[in-house]
Amino acid sequence: MCNVIDNSGAAVAECVKVLKMKRHAKVGDRIIVVVQKQRNFGPESGPGGSVSVSAANKVRRGDIRHAVVVRTAKKYQRPDGSVVKFDDNACVLINKGGEPIGSRLSGIVGREIREKGWSKILSLAPMHL
Amino acid sequence: MRTYDDTFSGQKIYPGKGKLFVRSDSKIFRFQNGKTESLFLQRKNPRRIAWTVLCRRQRRKGISEEQAKTRRRKQVKSQRAVVGASLDVIKERRSMRPEARSAARAEAIKLGKEKRTAAQSEKRAEKAKTAVKSGAGQTTGRWVYDDDSCIKRALLMINSVVGKQGAKGSAPKPKPTSR
Repeated sequence: MCNVIDNSGAAVAECVKVLKMKRHAKVGDRIIVVVQKQRNFGPESGPGGSVSVSAANKVRRGDIRHAVVVRTAKKYQRPDGSVVKFDDNACVLINKGGEPIGSRLSGIVGREIREKGWSKILSLAPMHL
Repeated sequence: MRTYDDTFSGQKIYPGKGKLFVRSDSKIFRFQNGKTESLFLQRKNPRRIAWTVLCRRQRRKGISEEQAKTRRRKQVKSQRAVVGASLDVIKERRSMRPEARSAARAEAIKLGKEKRTAAQSEKRAEKAKTAVKSGAGQTTGRWVYDDDSCIKRALLMINSVVGKQGAKGSAPKPKPTSR
């Protein structure tokens, strides 16, 4: 399970597969996720307004999508010896071509996504670390 | 070298040490070791833990020693002998009464000025003498050419040097084929 920090419409997604990897996913890895929870946009779309929510959202609950991991709660070591850890696991949804589905990100992303070649996600992020 | 401060204890973190923690509100915390990290995650207040910098600062620990150190450093001042004046001379001058000292100063200055003017006037006189001598010598030079003869000689030299080979110029240098 990880938080989705873009404005694609998903809030929480569950990882079902880590691509090109036989182990757990790290920052910058591409994964396949199932959208578990949708995000509510705006105050007018209340708990009952499922119609407006689905209109604004690009993805729906139960969708299978690709995503990139941008934060991990598991601490990891950088080549310079420093150890970094975040408060949660977070990902950004992308399409099959590798472009982000959402147009905006909220929250910090790890610096490792630059080394893995996700510069588009990096440019959307408010801050990288 | 970039060092960071521990957010909990205020210790220095040198490169390759410590942990970086990013909270979900995107605040960054750095910990020097597991001890401070653990205490932070237990939500302890660093002001209540005796060994942290925050606590020590709050209770004014270790500040008086620093102050004493700086004061001592400022007080250091000594008299030494300078190039032309030994320590005795300086001390003697210092201990004289001010009016006596000023009088002595004026005397010394006056003496120096007189000396200088005397030296200058002597120099001037010497210069004048030499100028007169050299002025007399200039008109009777032996090695004086007029312009015509100079040009003629130059032309002759040019004609004589340029032969058939000279006109071609030197042969081009062969290109090196091996080192």
